[in-house]
Amino acid sequence: MADWIDPQDIREWSRRLFALRPILLVLLVSAIFILELRIDWIERALGAYLVTTNVARPESGAIWEKGKQTLTARKTLEQIVTDRQASQRIARDATTFNQIAANVSPDQGVMLSDDHFRKLYLSLPREIAQEIISPFELVRLASEGKWRRTYFEKAGAGLMVYLLDLNNRVLQQLKITPSLLIHFEREQFAQVETLEDLPYFENRVYPADRFFDALEAFPEDVRRSMVPNPERLLRISGQIMRVGISDEAVSGFIEIGFEIINGSRRKVIIVQGHEWAVWRLRSHLEEQKSSADIISDTLEN
Amino acid sequence: MTFATTFIRRLSGIFYLALGLAGLGALLAIGLFFSALSDLPRVPEPLSRIIETPPTEIFAATGERIMVIGGREAIPLSRISPYFVQAVIATEDHRFWEHHGVDKVRTLKALWVTLFEPGKVQGASTITQQLAKNLFFTYRRTVMRKFRELLVALQIEAQYAKGDILEAYLNQISFGVGAQGIEQAAQSFFGKSAAALTLAESTLLAGLPKSPTRYNPYLHFDRAKKRQKIVLSRMVAVGYINPEDAQSAFKENLFLQPRSEGTRTGSYFLDVVLNEVEERYGPEVLYHGGLKVMTTLDPLLQSWAVESVQNGLAKLDEILGIRKYGVDSRDDAVTHPQGALVAVETNSGAVKAMVGGRDYSETEFNRAVQNNRLPGSGFKPFVYYTVFEKLDLSPATLVVDKKVNIPVVGTPDWRPKNFGGKYAGPMILKEALMKSVNSVAAQLVERIGPDAVIEVSRRCGIKSPLSSVYSVALGTSGVSPLEMASAFATFATGGIRHTPFWIRRVEDPLGRILEERIVGGKRSLDASVTYQVVDMMQGVLNNGTGSIVRRMGFDLPAAGKTGTSDGYHDAWFTGFTPTLCVSVWVGYDRGVGMRDANGKGITGARGAAPIWTDFMIKATNGEPAREFAIPSDIQFQSIDPVTGFAAKQWTPNPVRVALRQGQEVQGREETF
Repeated sequence: MADWIDPQDIREWSRRLFALRPILLVLLVSAIFILELRIDWIERALGAYLVTTNVARPESGAIWEKGKQTLTARKTLEQIVTDRQASQRIARDATTFNQIAANVSPDQGVMLSDDHFRKLYLSLPREIAQEIISPFELVRLASEGKWRRTYFEKAGAGLMVYLLDLNNRVLQQLKITPSLLIHFEREQFAQVETLEDLPYFENRVYPADRFFDALEAFPEDVRRSMVPNPERLLRISGQIMRVGISDEAVSGFIEIGFEIINGSRRKVIIVQGHEWAVWRLRSHLEEQKSSADIISDTLEN
Repeated sequence: MTFATTFIRRLSGIFYLALGLAGLGALLAIGLFFSALSDLPRVPEPLSRIIETPPTEIFAATGERIMVIGGREAIPLSRISPYFVQAVIATEDHRFWEHHGVDKVRTLKALWVTLFEPGKVQGASTITQQLAKNLFFTYRRTVMRKFRELLVALQIEAQYAKGDILEAYLNQISFGVGAQGIEQAAQSFFGKSAAALTLAESTLLAGLPKSPTRYNPYLHFDRAKKRQKIVLSRMVAVGYINPEDAQSAFKENLFLQPRSEGTRTGSYFLDVVLNEVEERYGPEVLYHGGLKVMTTLDPLLQSWAVESVQNGLAKLDEILGIRKYGVDSRDDAVTHPQGALVAVETNSGAVKAMVGGRDYSETEFNRAVQNNRLPGSGFKPFVYYTVFEKLDLSPATLVVDKKVNIPVVGTPDWRPKNFGGKYAGPMILKEALMKSVNSVAAQLVERIGPDAVIEVSRRCGIKSPLSSVYSVALGTSGVSPLEMASAFATFATGGIRHTPFWIRRVEDPLGRILEERIVGGKRSLDASVTYQVVDMMQGVLNNGTGSIVRRMGFDLPAAGKTGTSDGYHDAWFTGFTPTLCVSVWVGYDRGVGMRDANGKGITGARGAAPIWTDFMIKATNGEPAREFAIPSDIQFQSIDPVTGFAAKQWTPNPVRVALRQGQEVQGREETF
């Protein structure tokens, strides 16, 4: 390749400047420039190229952030609604207050209809139901026509129950204490087979005949307080073999367990007697036992 | 070497330098392009993705929607007034239909102005660039951000039709006052759809996106009009309209949709609601979850509350002899007293109205909730209730209003003084509360102890920290107007306490309930003792320190108590009817006493009670007179207020007091 020599005069410069190659170059550069001004080809080309890379690029920036936040919000809401609906569903299916208490979370209560509350209330033995609210009070509320819904809320280990009108105003506030819940729960234990299955009866189990002999020693109204609902025992077929008296008093009641044998099947029915009355019965039974022990000791000696 | 040769040589040197620089520039541009490309955001497809966020809506108790957060009400371009479309194009980017994302001529011009005209910075962003910026980028000004914005704009232009780009842009620009997108803006400012906007309305709105706060027509109508003029002149220059049309559009009267001060975006009440929702569900759910929040706000009461506070404070400015508020707004918030009002429904605790200051746009500090100010004598009802309940005293108990000196272990004796420094001698307790006698309250707290008073106030719902000192009886621990309104509501309901609340129900976008308020009260005070205090507080309005209420014409059965802190820093009035309890506070933020031109201090009766009365007259207009429920064991007896004896026919100014069973005054009542 020949060395490039610096032009020495204007003529040489002009000759070189107006040669075909520079003119074509200038024309090309001008064409590029004018075309860009006229048809924005650089913008179009870049834009088209960027479209092809779009899918591989990150979802970043305000709009995507917003989208992610919206997604997070939707998920959070969905979770809240799902949890709420689940606890509502469980509460709707509940057949006892204990089932509700077990499923109500501390930060979220459940709403049920007034009918549902009535159903749960009526499933309880009269004496225990009375502990929650007097049936007369419930009848009064129902007759006023305002009571529409019932809200259950966790209160420690117990339950707060709000009987509400249509505007969620509290018509009556009820408290189901933990001890009352234990009471309800024990009521469910009627499924157990023998008194030995229930540890709180283990110290005081008496043969049925001795128990009923002792019971007979009291007048009718006291007996009603000891065994408030004897009709319930009557409804069950089989023979009462043994009777247990609980060591614990809960909310003014003491439980009495009747072990019944029907063919080869055994089961225990529990009733709640008033504490004061059962105490008397228990003392009577203990006295009887002591006398029997003394007699047997004397006979042995 | 000739001169010409030298010249040519230099010229060629410059040429090669320029060529080299151009090459270097090109290389840099390519490098910049690939560097920017590495983390260039993906453009969503379709572009209408920007409108997918459902709005969170806040509703008043009446069902009226009072606020919308986030979300878009996107509409097709065909449903936007052509005037508005033209106005935006003329103002923001008149070569929009021609360019492909960048307006090169405008960019070069802007570059020239920015580089060579000192102090001037000119923007040249096209509508597409603005859309790219709004969708993907922060407002941080860097060369790289600008370059990326440009690249995204080029892609948007290559990917979408001009109509789609314009539609997306018009549906996402911010017009201020919470209006995002043209449909919301048209509804918010003119109460009509975007399709129905006239030339005048369109040009006013088209001027707002440049600076929604600066040109907010509600606050700065003149600035908005000046901006409208610029928009109109741009439309004339571009050839969309002729000068005559522009002239008549400019002269056209514009009727802005009225906005209730208290319920506008960012009012004190809405702040409280938003804070609670955000606290419970998090910011994502609040701003992007599309919640429906039903509040307790009564828009009518709220607008009256705002009006009463503003009118009352304007009158207070006159009394204080200070210039009109708003004339020189630079330091108005400091030089003028502030006020707060809270109205609570007594039988539920629902907050019906809340004003947290004179002007939200001036200061967002919510004095109704966040401000703990000394209630002064406003705290005395708790003292009286305590001694009635714990010591079995009655409103007829005789006391002696005298100088008192209460020894305090470890500190100097406490010597509370009466307002005015005078002592009236023997008087019954009802009279002492009606006249707000400090020495009597001090004697009572000395006997019962501050802890008992604090315990009663806690039962009523006061949650602020209270110092266990004797002076607590005279309100020396700060409380908020919300606490006062809620606590006094416990008196109004005969002792049933309702926790104050402002959210009734929250639903998700599909209408599924997330939470709902159970409205229940709890007996906190004894009904009969409470009634005795309420009867005494009725006396405050009828013949005591709050009698201005009656003089101003409020004649429904009501009870209340004035309060003034030391040095006239705070003036309070909290009062209630059986259905509504309202607390009003006025004072300076910076702890300066309020005194009129003659140096006389502003008391609760002078500063706060007129605001309370003005509000209550409007709020209870047309309501029947409801008396407070009287418990069955309460009986009334006329007492000689000076001797404490049962009043005889000749007793001057006997006072009727409410007494519980066994408190009847036979001869002389026990002297305390």
